[in-house]
This record gives sequence, C-alpha cells and structure tokens, in this order.
Amino acid sequence: MVRLVGTLDVDTGPLAAVDVTLPGRDIRIGHRHPLSVLREEIETIFANLGFEILEGPEAEDDYHNFEALNMPPEHPARDMQDTLYLDGPLETESGRPATLLRTHTSGMQIRYMETHEPPVRIIAPGLVYRRDTPDQTHSPMFQQIEGLLVGDDVTMSHLKGTLECFLQQVFEPDTRVMFRPSFFPYTEPSAEVFISCVFCRGSGCSVCKRTGWIEILGSGMVHPAVLEAVGYDTERLTGWAFGVGIDRLAILKYRVTDNRAFYENDLRLLEQFPH
Amino acid sequence: MRILVSWLRELVPVDASIDTLAEGLTMRGFEVSAVEPVQAQAGAEDEDAVLELEITPNRPDCLSVAGVAREVATMYGTVVTQPALAAPPATENGDGVNLPVTVEEAELCPRYVAAAAAVQVAPSPAWLAARLEAAAVRPINNIVDITNYVMVELGHPMHAFDLDRLGGGELRIRRARPGERLRTLDGEERALADDMLVIADAAQAQAVAGVMGGADTEVRESTRRVAFESAYFQPVSVRRTSRRLGLSTDASYRFERGADIGAPITAMRRACAILAAIGGGQPEGAFVDRYPAPPTAIVVDLRQARIHRVLGVDVDAGFVGTTLKRLGFGIDPIEPVDGAARWRVTVPSHRVDVSREIDLIEEIARYHGYDRLPSTFPAMIRPPAPLAAGVRRQRLLRRVLTASGCSEATTYGFIERAAAEPFVDTADVVVPVANPLSEKFAVLRPSLVPGLVDALIRNRRREHRDIRLFEIGHRFRRAGGESAGVAIALTGAGTLEHWSGRARASDLFDIKGVVERLTEAAGVTARIEPTSRPELVPGRAAIVRSMRAGSTEVCTLGFLGQLLPSLAIARGLPSAGDDIYVAELDLDVLGEVAVDRAAMRVTPLPRHPSIIRDLAIVVDASLPAATVRGTIRTVAPETLIDVREFDRYAGKGVPNGQLSLAFRLTFRHADRTLTDAEVQQTIDAIVTTLEATHQASLR
Repeated sequence: MVRLVGTLDVDTGPLAAVDVTLPGRDIRIGHRHPLSVLREEIETIFANLGFEILEGPEAEDDYHNFEALNMPPEHPARDMQDTLYLDGPLETESGRPATLLRTHTSGMQIRYMETHEPPVRIIAPGLVYRRDTPDQTHSPMFQQIEGLLVGDDVTMSHLKGTLECFLQQVFEPDTRVMFRPSFFPYTEPSAEVFISCVFCRGSGCSVCKRTGWIEILGSGMVHPAVLEAVGYDTERLTGWAFGVGIDRLAILKYRVTDNRAFYENDLRLLEQFPH
Repeated sequence: MRILVSWLRELVPVDASIDTLAEGLTMRGFEVSAVEPVQAQAGAEDEDAVLELEITPNRPDCLSVAGVAREVATMYGTVVTQPALAAPPATENGDGVNLPVTVEEAELCPRYVAAAAAVQVAPSPAWLAARLEAAAVRPINNIVDITNYVMVELGHPMHAFDLDRLGGGELRIRRARPGERLRTLDGEERALADDMLVIADAAQAQAVAGVMGGADTEVRESTRRVAFESAYFQPVSVRRTSRRLGLSTDASYRFERGADIGAPITAMRRACAILAAIGGGQPEGAFVDRYPAPPTAIVVDLRQARIHRVLGVDVDAGFVGTTLKRLGFGIDPIEPVDGAARWRVTVPSHRVDVSREIDLIEEIARYHGYDRLPSTFPAMIRPPAPLAAGVRRQRLLRRVLTASGCSEATTYGFIERAAAEPFVDTADVVVPVANPLSEKFAVLRPSLVPGLVDALIRNRRREHRDIRLFEIGHRFRRAGGESAGVAIALTGAGTLEHWSGRARASDLFDIKGVVERLTEAAGVTARIEPTSRPELVPGRAAIVRSMRAGSTEVCTLGFLGQLLPSLAIARGLPSAGDDIYVAELDLDVLGEVAVDRAAMRVTPLPRHPSIIRDLAIVVDASLPAATVRGTIRTVAPETLIDVREFDRYAGKGVPNGQLSLAFRLTFRHADRTLTDAEVQQTIDAIVTTLEATHQASLR
C-alpha cells in the first residue's frame, strides 16, 4: 500500500506519493458586489448595442437634475422624487455649484448633449439618492442606469425593441415585456415597463399581486423641451430614454428578499457572487 | 383618486364589467391600484366598487368622476352625460349688489366666481354622504358637502363662507398682510406671509386661497347665508403657499396641478342644482364672475407624418380625429402634406397638460395602444465609442482587488458626522445634508474608509474573522468637491490556516502589497513614504505618492496604515485585539498619472545573462530600508537592474539597536556579458559608501 503524505513531508523522498485529496493552498479571491456584477452585465449589453458608457457627479446642480429636464421650480412632478439637498453649495468642475444629490443620472445626459452633436447613444450608470427611509423595498441610495438615444430616425418602436432585448438578456429569453402609458416630465409619450413575473412566469403570485406582471422601469420619447434646452433641432431629431434601478433588477434576478442586504455587505451574501 | 363605479356609470353609461373598466383605465395611463368592492346603494342592481386610481401629476382633469368618465367614453366610443346644472343666472361683473367681490391680485387669481345663497344647514341626505365617504371625503353638513361633492364629481374645488360672519359682507382677494394670522378650519393658528394669497373680508383674512378656509367663517348649524366660492388660483402660488404652511388639501392638490379655468361657472351651477335638489337653500341674485382676461384657447397643429415619426407606426387619420374629438379637443382638418393628414386642434381648458404637438401624439399613442406598437431596432449609424478609460480602469482595479482576496462592498454615500470627522483635518471640510433622513445619514462621506470600516466591523460582529473589503465610490469635501476613490480595509489572517503550515495575522505589509498591486495594475509608479495621520497609528502610516508623467511634480494618491484601535472600538469593533488596516487612493489622480497602456510597446528581451549578488549589512535599526536602497542605487552603475530586500533580522549576533538587512542585487549589461570582476568592483564601491554614509558593516 502506498503511504500518502503531504508535500511538506521531507523524509519521504522527492518523488513519494502525496495525498492529493488534502485541500490546496488557499489563494484568496474576493467577490464583486452583486450590484457591480449586474451593472457590468448591463453595461456590456448596451455596449454591444453601440452605447457609450458615461459617468458623472453625484452632487448635482438644480438645473441639470430638474430644470433642463422640463421640471421648473415648483413643478408638481418634483414631488415624485423626494430630494436630498446639501447644506451649502459644493464647488464642481462644471462651474455650477452642486446643491443636491442627484435623484437620477439624467444630468449626465444633459451634459453630454450640451457638448456633443447628435446622434447620441449613451448610458449613464451610477448612484442616485432619494429621501427614502431604508426598508425592504426602499433605499435612500441606489444604483441606476439611464439610456438615451437621439437621432434623425428614432421612434418609440425602437424603444420597445431595445428594452425587450435588454430585459430578455438580463432575465430569461422568454421574458414577456409590457409597455403602459405613464408620466414623466422629461419624456412624452412616457411608458412604464413591466416584465412577466419572474417568480410565477406570469401565472399570478403574491409577488406580482396576482397580475402576472412586475414593474421594472420607466421610459419614453425624450420631451422636445429637453432637446430644446440643449439646443437640438426638435423638428429634425427625436429620441428615447429610459431609467432602471439596478437594485430592483438585482432583487428580482437574484431573488434577494430585502433591498437593505445590498448595503449591509455581509460576506455570506457577497461570497455568493462572481469574482 | 377614489372613483365610485356607480357614480362613473351615471356619467358614462357603459356595460363593461368593473374589472374591464379597471384594466382599460390602467392601460391608458390611469393605473387602478386597487378595486374595493362596496355595498351597492338601495335600488341599484349592479355590484359596485371603488376604483383607487393613481392620477399622474400632468392630469389634474382626471381628479374627478367626470374626468375619468371622459376617458371611459373615449374608450367605448360614447359621450359623457352632463350632470344636472342649475339654469345659468345672470352673472354680475360690476359691483355685486348683494356680494361685493374685489380681486386685488388678478395674476394670482385670474378668475373668481362667487354666489350668495340663503341656506338651511342640515346633515346631507344618505346618498350624498355615502358618495363622499366612498371618495374618502368626510361628510360635514349639507352645504360643505355640496362643495366637496362638486369637487369630486367635476374636479373643481369650491368653498363656502358663512356670509353673515364676513366683515362687511364682502370678499377681497389680496395678499396676506405682514404678520397677519388666520385660524384655519383644522383649528391651527397659522402665520401668513405676504406672498400668500388670501380671501379676506373687509377686515381680515378669512381663507388661504385654494388651500383651506378659516375657522371663523366656517359653515355651521347656525349659518343662514353663505357665499359660495368657485375660483381659479395660479398653480405655483398655491403650491408655494401649501408647502410653506405644510398644509396639503384636496383643493390645493388640484389647484397646484392646474384647475380648469373654464369650470367655475359650471361648478357653481352644479352646486346650485344640488342645493335645490336636496332642499338646502336658494341662491340670492346673480353670480359674481371676476374674469378680467380670459385666456385664448391654445391651438396646436398635428401632423399624421409626425405621429409616424415619433411612434414608428402608421395611425389611421380617422382614428386620430375621432379620438381627439371624444377627449374634448376641437378638430379642424387642414391641407394634407404629401398625402398625410394634418389638423388644427383646439385644446379645451381642462387639458392643462396639452400645449404642443407631442402632447397630442401622446393622446394618440395612449388610445392606439402601446401594445400595438411594433418592436424594432434603431439603425447603427456611426461606429460605437470605445469603452472610456475610467470605466476600463475601474473594471481592472475591481478584478485586481478580488484577485487580492478583497470582496466588494457598497456603503451609503452619507454617514454619521462622528464617523466622518476623524478622517478630515477640520470639521468644516465635511459637507452636511440639509434635510437628512436621520443622524445616521447626516453628512456626505469625506472618505470611503469610515463606511468600509463599519462594514468590516459589522462582518466581524457576525463572527467573520478574516475580512478583506474594498469599495469604489465618490467622496465629498467642501474644498476640492467630489472625487472618485477606492478604499480597502482588512483584518484577520494574512495567511490563512492550512494543514501545511501556520496561519499568520495580517500586518501593514498585507495592505501595502494590495496597494502596490493596484498602482502597478493602473500603470502608476508609487512611492510609499512614512507620514502621520490622525486616524492612523503613529509610525504605522504611509502616504502614497506618484509623479505625473513627463514632469517632476509629485502628487498624492492616498494613504495606507493601521487604523487607530480607539476609532474601531468607537465604531463597535467587538475585540480590541483585532488590527484593522486601511488604505484609500484617489481614482481621479490615479487616472491622471497612469501610463496609457494603449501606447505600450514591448522592451526587447535581454540577450546577455545577469549576475546576482547578495549583500548583508548591519545598520542602525532606525534607518529606513528605502534610504539604504537609495544609496546603493546612487553608487551603482546602470548595470544594476534590481535591488530587493530579502531578509531582515535583529537578535542574536546583531548588536542591540541594530539590524541586519540583506539585499539581492541583479546586474546586467544590455550589450555584453558582465564579468565577475567588474561586478565585484561595484559591490566593493557600494560597501565602502554604505560604511561611510550609514556606518554600516558587512555581516
């Protein structure tokens, strides 16, 4: 019988058999955060569709977060996003002092259009902030990705096709996608987008409140007032935009039951995700 | 908005089931979030329910049964039945004889309709009270209930004043006076500001315009005469006042979104009709209608070709005309262009959301049905942009860090002030949130380290021992603004337990190793030098620096070191014996000094062998290794291609206060093979210099 030893057993000779069933040396490899894993996945989907990835500041000025997006001061739609304000303005590279934490990454879209000629094909991922107390489904901070396409021949049908492709790649190829009229000040027509429930596949369960559908993102045709604010020709150009919370997608995709888990950073959760 | 289905059916007689109605409204942008069955009223055959509708801020016209009925009528190709109105009495635009009304602020109150009425105050009939209750409006008495009934039914907020309690029996629409106060109907005493619009009598404010009435002129049992108000107030003014007072009402909610400036007379006639129907009283004389400048109707041209351009689908011209007509728009066909229809569309006053062509296209899209739009792909008309350098760098660093054993954390962008302050030189650098959720989220993080340390401690409390975390995120400082950074925090084993050998606790050189790998991956040559920082253990803190490419300017990338144990304990670390090592680098600076890898070219492989010599010297223990290394490099010729410390020893055989440092030196010449003799010459020169400069001795 062969005597099995570990590699460090020096007195057994250079070519003696070793116990290959002993654990190997632990080269530690860490894990990416679930929101990073999913964000990179989404970035790749859109990069493959020709979208440029943009990043920008989280402390934002009122103009880029609201006014340029067809939300003048005292606009009731500002209530839809409860905003966190800074105590005293913060200097920025752009020159306009930041006064709030961005409630969406749309400010980047405005900045891009202010400095680039169409066509525009960008996504803007990043952290956004809302004045929501953390609970199972709310977070005062979450990751968002917004997309923007502006050109000579951009239609709402393109929006449908692109978002269906995106959602079927994030979820399952047979995921069904539904568009429903809604309202956002910066898009018109606006659409809320639903996917067939990932839990019951559309047959109805407690998560989808028996409807078979789960609301997943907001989208629409870019409002001409937004294009006008950046000096684009609204007669020649049309565009669409969408915004999606990566946290929300991650909850549904990975079946995380509590949104707060993403910010607790428990290694037992993190270690379930890829390197 | 709660809509009672039987009330809705009264205004639009359709056979559709409750569920079908709910589905239809939802698919046209009026989400029915709940269907609540209610007891049908006596005599009614059908089942009844309340639809809980989510009305988006752009559609105040649908904050009413009539508004929703108009949408249902459009869906089913029918028309809305107008509820019974009292005959239009003469309207009075001079000085009202029985009810003087003066509008001092026509800009904030473009229209004010008022009517006096003799009333008998009593509880409302059961059917009226039941309808209000279904709409979640509390019945008060017949007069107040009538105003609320009209608001729910037609969407126009009304108010009733006890006319005998109005000083001078008159109404004056003016701004509040400085220091003016008013006790509102909810019993609160409110301080008014001079930009707030009020309805006053001869002496004082009696209502906050469009928000809430005053308690003194409240309609009560003893009331004999009332002044009904049906006005239009400027939305921004109402919203500002409502927010300043912290008082949002059904009326302010509608006015701030935009009431129908064409509705006040209709609403007043409806109120009078109900007043008569329930035997609650009689109007006295004419309506007062202060409407100095009626706006002209908005006219918008709509092109069939543009509908196609936006939606990507052909929509039938007949369908466009019919749909808009049913929604209440005026439609006049104008000359087609290239065979595509065009219309001149007159916008009704209740559609405050419609002022341009795209608004009409939205109406067409809603009724055409989003589900019937095809799914197509946009053409790629120019080559895609390459991945931005910053995005590539972040992805690379994320992988280098996971390969270094660190897992990625995401912590909140705002933290406790107490957690932030140890990481800044002066407290005024920290940027506070003006309206934080709580003290836990009081300030923007000036550094990623405090949040990361909290995450590490949280894991430590869950019995993890060996923890390595990193985070990539933004930091905020009053001076310098916002910047991107990467931080690392680690504790526990540096080498894990393994059957082949012993575990080893982490030390400063674990985190330094990670930082070195990071800077190397980013293409940056880092210099790591001693420093002192308030949050780090003295003597265990280093600053990470680098030189800008093509310049001698040294810039600071960040720091690394051991966290002060007292800080970790203050943040809840369960065991004082756990060393925590932290590091943070500025990603923006890292990006600026990084070598562009896209421009890299290979160096030809050496054609001549290298010679390796080990050199062990004894020096004073306080002498930094980098200083010795520097001296060696200064003395040696270019053929010295590498110097590396490979041993460090203090103890037996080495005098107290001194230590033995061993260096491995590698020599190579680019063009020829070096001889042992010339390398030995160099070694001798190095030793001589080390002896002279550092009082070193060969070991």
